Amino acid sequence: MSGEKTLSKEELFKKLSEAVVACDSEAVVEAAKQVIEKGIDPVEAIEKGLSKGAIEVGEKFDKMEIFLTGLMMAADAMKAGMDVLLPHISKEKVTKKGTVVSGTVKGDIHDIGKNILVALLRANGFDVYDLGVDVPTSKFIEEAERVNADIITLSALMSSTIGGQKDVIDYLKETGKREKFIVMVGGGPTTREWVEEIGADGWAETATEAVKLASELIEKKK
Amino acid sequence: MVTFLDVMERALTGKPCSERDYDLKIFATKLMEKVKEYDIKYDPENPVPSDNSLADDVFKAAIDFYCEVGTYCKDTERIIKFDENEIKERLKTAPSKLTFGEGADAGTMVPRKPEDKTLPWCFCGAGGVAVSSEHVFSKLVENYARIPIANSITTPALTKVSGIRIRPESPLEILGAIHTVVLGREALRRAGRPGLPIMNSISTADSAIALIAGLHPEFGLRPTDSYMIATLAELKTSFDLLNRACTLLSLNLPIASLYGPIYGGYCGGPEGTAVATVAYHFMGALVYQAGWHLAFPIHIKYIASSMPELLWVASVYAQAISRNTHLLALYYNYTAAGPCTEMCLYEIAAQHISAITSGVSMETGGIAGGKREDYLTPIEPKFTAEVAHAAAGMKREDANELVKKLVPKYVEKIADPPLGMKHQECCDFDTGKPSQKCWDIYNKVKRELTDLGLEFK
Repeated sequence: MSGEKTLSKEELFKKLSEAVVACDSEAVVEAAKQVIEKGIDPVEAIEKGLSKGAIEVGEKFDKMEIFLTGLMMAADAMKAGMDVLLPHISKEKVTKKGTVVSGTVKGDIHDIGKNILVALLRANGFDVYDLGVDVPTSKFIEEAERVNADIITLSALMSSTIGGQKDVIDYLKETGKREKFIVMVGGGPTTREWVEEIGADGWAETATEAVKLASELIEKKK
Repeated sequence: MVTFLDVMERALTGKPCSERDYDLKIFATKLMEKVKEYDIKYDPENPVPSDNSLADDVFKAAIDFYCEVGTYCKDTERIIKFDENEIKERLKTAPSKLTFGEGADAGTMVPRKPEDKTLPWCFCGAGGVAVSSEHVFSKLVENYARIPIANSITTPALTKVSGIRIRPESPLEILGAIHTVVLGREALRRAGRPGLPIMNSISTADSAIALIAGLHPEFGLRPTDSYMIATLAELKTSFDLLNRACTLLSLNLPIASLYGPIYGGYCGGPEGTAVATVAYHFMGALVYQAGWHLAFPIHIKYIASSMPELLWVASVYAQAISRNTHLLALYYNYTAAGPCTEMCLYEIAAQHISAITSGVSMETGGIAGGKREDYLTPIEPKFTAEVAHAAAGMKREDANELVKKLVPKYVEKIADPPLGMKHQECCDFDTGKPSQKCWDIYNKVKRELTDLGLEFK
């Protein structure tokens, strides 16, 4: 264990950040525990440690300096750190970026694009409920209501399955819940024109852009 | 000999594993290990390498890799594995030639080698890219068939039936699959080439039930056409896909297996993507008993395959397969730019010169990332086939120099490419023939390629 050397607050933040980038969950947990033991503000540790690392990971993925496996492992490391720190933050001070329900629409079993988005959202401090693939329309809405989500993200890889994105939006409109949730769509065959046609709130060509857009849409809604 | 029933038995009795563990702890981890063990290194200076030992090492790494990771069955959450003898035996017994089409339009697909003068099989058309109407579908197929050197046709996919958007596994998808077959055959007849084989049957069928419905002889498909079964990234299958294999094998219909390994995904960088692409061929040959193979390694971010890393992958996988097997292998490209743009044609030229000189044949498609409805014309497949014929017999080192001159013409624009024009914007409504503007672009790029040393036949 780390006890051999007492790390300063800044050193611990640096360690948290570097351990996220290195996908080292054990090192993240160890540093996070030290944050708590030393009475350092866990909110500050998230902002200046974990999140800083997550931003670097996102940038590296964007430049293809790391690949999907590294991204997912970094997201796991980030989550491991959050699991240690969050219980020590009072509910009022918990400043999650937002809660997201993600999935691939009914009839579509492709998951890689959705997995990238989920990993990047988690790495950037979003609370993500991943419903997996081939998700029935009503399940998206039930889950979004259950977890009080800010955003529903709908992935589709096939031109024959993107209709499932419209189904979710139609369902929300029909049940009077459209304004409760931000709806973002993505995936190979989706385009800006498609987003306008179905009345989604956001679309991005890449997962990195989607994370940025998610933050902007949440800010806008506040 | 591994039979389809053996595959099913292994799908039910293989090692249980969660999908996440398969992706991260098995596929990605073992792939990195093999890349390291065989010391496979990407060379950014040479998109078309001439190093035979590199190709052979990639092949050996792929055999080792596939023996260790197998294929993941999503429905049973188990791994279907094969040993080295089974892989090698299947590679020996796999078809070394297949005849498709009828009458004057019949042809025989044969394997090629790097720098081979044998003309590549030209599989021309839309590559399954979507169109919004049956009219656009028919006009495209009719004009694809008018490409004189086309050996077979790849039709678009319909997204609507009588204006209603198709939904997966619904009667609309079944109708879409049937319409695809009927319209495709009729369009070939109208073009005067009724015997041309349709080899991406059935493009609109994303589910087994739609494929099986469209197979009824009443609708017009023939045993001399060919039938496609996808794989799932990475190295995965499902009962739905296996249902297609079961049906097609029982009807003794020729199967093509499709592989889209993702650069930047679980494959990692170019080295891992090349090894995985080769391993996919083993999967197709064993799991689906495929007679021919179609690979389209693709970039995770740009949905294109024209960047230097992906050109290298195309060349290296093609050399590994063509030097070490007699598998009937084709390469399929994704361009970032859309139809009727110079960039799109530069991308196609770089991609297919890399692959053809490395020993495979070709399919066209994936224009503008293959994701935009109606962004298709007959120009791109015609150009691709002509480039493919011109590249046959070219030395790899000459191809390498040529490709290096082409890449700077588009590489900076991949992130924000020109989308070009929709079929409706650049082709005549009644005839489907491209506008003069499209032909001017085509002629200009062909002249440039000629000046760079590509000898069109």
